[in-house]
Amino acid sequence: MTIDKPPRPGGSELASAAARRPASPIAFRLDPASGVPTYLQLVQQVEHALRLGYLKPGDQLPKVRDAVASLAINPNTVLKAYRDLETKGLVAGRPGQGTFIRATLSRVALPELAELRRSLLVWLATAGAAGLDEDGIVALVTSALRDLREPRGEREGVA
Amino acid sequence: MNAVETNDLGKRYGNAWALRECTLAIPAGHVAALVGPNGAGKSTLLNLVVGLAAPSAGIVTVLDGQPAGSAAALDGVAFVAQDAPLYKNLTASEMLHLTRNLNRNFDEGYAKGRLRELGIPLDRKAGKLSGGQQSQLALSLALARRPQLLVLDEPMAMLDPLARHDFMATVMAAIADHGLSVVLSSHVLTELERVADYLVLISHGNVQVAGVVDDLLARHRVLTGPAVEADSYAERLNLVHAQRGEAQAHMLVRIDARTGPVPPGWETHPVSLEELTLAYLREPDAAWLPGPGRALRLEPTEVAN
Amino acid sequence: MAWVTWRQHRVALAGVVALFGAAAAYLLVTGLPIHDAYAAVAGCRPTGSDLCNKVVNDFLRTYAPGVGVTFGLLQAIPALIGAFAGAPLLAREFETGTFRYAWTQGFGRTRWTVAKLVPLAVAVTIASAAFSLLVSWYVQPIIDAGDNNGPLYPTLFDLSGVALAAWTLAALAIGLFAGILVRRVVPAMFATIASWAALAFVTGAFLRAHYLAPVVTSNTNIPTGAWIINQGWFKGGNPASLDLINQTFAPVDVRALTPDLFQPGPATPANLGDPVQYLIQHGLTHWTTYQPAGRFWTFQWIEGGWLIALSLILIAATVWLVRRRAA
Repeated sequence: MTIDKPPRPGGSELASAAARRPASPIAFRLDPASGVPTYLQLVQQVEHALRLGYLKPGDQLPKVRDAVASLAINPNTVLKAYRDLETKGLVAGRPGQGTFIRATLSRVALPELAELRRSLLVWLATAGAAGLDEDGIVALVTSALRDLREPRGEREGVA
Repeated sequence: MNAVETNDLGKRYGNAWALRECTLAIPAGHVAALVGPNGAGKSTLLNLVVGLAAPSAGIVTVLDGQPAGSAAALDGVAFVAQDAPLYKNLTASEMLHLTRNLNRNFDEGYAKGRLRELGIPLDRKAGKLSGGQQSQLALSLALARRPQLLVLDEPMAMLDPLARHDFMATVMAAIADHGLSVVLSSHVLTELERVADYLVLISHGNVQVAGVVDDLLARHRVLTGPAVEADSYAERLNLVHAQRGEAQAHMLVRIDARTGPVPPGWETHPVSLEELTLAYLREPDAAWLPGPGRALRLEPTEVAN
Repeated sequence: MAWVTWRQHRVALAGVVALFGAAAAYLLVTGLPIHDAYAAVAGCRPTGSDLCNKVVNDFLRTYAPGVGVTFGLLQAIPALIGAFAGAPLLAREFETGTFRYAWTQGFGRTRWTVAKLVPLAVAVTIASAAFSLLVSWYVQPIIDAGDNNGPLYPTLFDLSGVALAAWTLAALAIGLFAGILVRRVVPAMFATIASWAALAFVTGAFLRAHYLAPVVTSNTNIPTGAWIINQGWFKGGNPASLDLINQTFAPVDVRALTPDLFQPGPATPANLGDPVQYLIQHGLTHWTTYQPAGRFWTFQWIEGGWLIALSLILIAATVWLVRRRAA
């Protein structure tokens, strides 16, 4: 999933750190141009890894220190992401040890997936007929997802 | 506790005020980014925080109320000035020796380890190192002092992108390991977004914005809609900065309890730190200062020691 | 901190030692022959005879000018030390920006400054005091032989006794103060040399002559080794011009080339005697203002005293400015 930094003369901190501790199954990466807040990228990467099976219950997430040293991001950001995951019930922190996966994401069953796909194709045809092009569809979906994500209470001022 | 507190702080050189009416409370455990155009007063503020300059007005304290520049402050605050000043004719090893002799706490093992990892030879004179190596050496010396507050003035000006990444990674790791607070000034807005969780925007000697980044981003939006309607909504929506085309306008607005709802037909977008910073810099009269809310002692104290 | 001071200023300290060392070697090499030659002068008998006077005068004529030139050159030493060891100490920190490192370490800027100034000042004072002992040894034969330029003579006075150490310390203090005022190395060095030279000049030309009220006498026999500040011929309370002197001499055909140099002419009577007495008998008075050689040590303590006070004030001012100086 990720590519290690090429080894530099004298050895990198990451390499030596990894040699000392059992590594987490995943490593984080950052897409600075995506427009998605950093902590959210981390949350999404954990959820995505869970979805694809890279992470299973009991696995350890990267230590805050390691994530921070390899990505050069604020530790508070990592902590925020982990808190977020904890709120969602996906991870649990063990004092002095780290953060561990607690549960899996509810997997969508295959028949349900097929049904969702079918209704999506219908909707896409409707959108296309109304004159929306691909970018227009993506924009609409993104905006709707955002509306879904922000709970109503927070949006009071900007209804 | 607050890593840095100022109350109506001002600094005058001759008849010109480099900084005035600066009231800030930067909480500990955060990375505070000081942003602003050249000559805005960033270096002045940093010099006041580390005790290199004395205030012309107001007071500045660090690490929960210690006067800036006092003995306790000097112990707990490490500073890397612009251009990473080092004694050019001393070797890296001698700089370590020097820093050890001048400070109570010094983790020489850590410093040597870092220099080894970075490939900086201990027996080379500091003046013969590359710009990036000098910055890293200066940072290593500062971090080895195990400070509670690290202050960096344009620390990455001389670094290539990989070196910048390593520099920041080192600082962030130190925060994770030791709970350090950091105040750094920078021009490079894109990198700040990953790193800063507190923003201070200074322009023309005045603080325009001071607050936690998450709050800042939560309270601002870009509204996009018909240009003809933009002016009529500007006041109600706390407009910070508008960009207009013939038909369409984008308004960067500030949300508070009194803001009305989004006008119909307008879209909202979240704002990035860079976009927000640029907008405020373009509008010198706009400000967002939630205020520290904590009373400060008002007796000025001169630089001790 | 001792390591810090040594490591950062070992070049300056080495320079001070080298400067004094080179000068000391020079004094030894040229001084030993002078001492050897003087042995012959001192052993001449009968003392006071024409023969022995001639021996003395030959000795002085041979060696005194060289000693004078040497002392002229040595005048530069305190100024050089002040400029090269004193001025850069603080000025370089500002010029290179390293004060932003040094003054934000836990040690603090005041202690850091004092821990550098004090050892340097002590080292410089000791070195210059030792050197002035060598100067005294060097010049002793010339003084003992009764040279007209006694121990109070300006270029000798400030190299001997305690004066050299005091002038060197003052130069260092001026250098340090210039360093923190000017904040650039080369301009601070120039400022140091210029200020020190001005101070030395004013002291030698005007101030020192009045530490104690000078002796004023009309006696034409001035004690040996006295420092003559002023002398001249007066008539009726007013200075007598060379023309007036020549007019007075007209009857005996003596020409006054200068107020001290009288040339007899063809018509000068053989029994004229001392032309000086002749002028005195004819209404002119010869006034001399001088400081006796015996006041040497008194003057040394006075000059050393105010120089050390000045040095301490400048050093205190330097430290005060360090505490106050903004970035």
